Amino acid sequence: MSLNQKCAWGQLAIFGLMVIGWLVLFVMNGTIFYWQDNSMMMTFYSISGAGFVLLVLMNMWATLRRKHTEVSSDERDRAVFRRASLWATGISYTTVGVLLLTVTITYMNRGSDTVPVYFPLFIVLVGGVTLLLTQSIAALFLYSRKVGDD
Amino acid sequence: MTRSRVKNRIRRLRFDNSEMTQEELASRAECTRQTIIALEQGKYVPSIALAFRIAKAFGVRLEDVFQYEED
Repeated sequence: MSLNQKCAWGQLAIFGLMVIGWLVLFVMNGTIFYWQDNSMMMTFYSISGAGFVLLVLMNMWATLRRKHTEVSSDERDRAVFRRASLWATGISYTTVGVLLLTVTITYMNRGSDTVPVYFPLFIVLVGGVTLLLTQSIAALFLYSRKVGDD
Repeated sequence: MTRSRVKNRIRRLRFDNSEMTQEELASRAECTRQTIIALEQGKYVPSIALAFRIAKAFGVRLEDVFQYEED
């Protein structure tokens, strides 16, 4: 397994745990539309922050691990990364669009023309996690498939 | 529409060259060992530059390493 594949698995594990944490939070306390106090939001942001700190630590480990005497990334890794990034971009943009529509329609149905201030950060976080999670899954899938004969 | 397939004899050539390891070939061809593995399994079609570097690593012509077939 190459270092890039290990990083993709690591990203998948980190963000998978983040999504599970969010889902547990939503199941126990309802979705973000029903949070009545700041403790739920802080829990949500804490889970997100912990995930991103783990991601930074993982990238630091990968940087230190790269042996300067051998090739750690080549054209195949770049080809896989390009395709995985295309998938990730499309899916994360769709996710952000769906979230924006959901928020807008929900608050319009409530007769309100204002949205709580924490929603933009929430949507950006979910979009970012979707981007990196999809990129990891797509990369691992593409590593197992035939690449380069289009 | 014809479907092209690029086949290679990398594994055979490695064994014919004093049982060269994948690591050694990767080092000579300036790619990762995982790419050599993917090439041998037919899961990756290299760029022309990498194909030339692999042929040069074996000291043979490009056509001796890679074959182009149409179904």
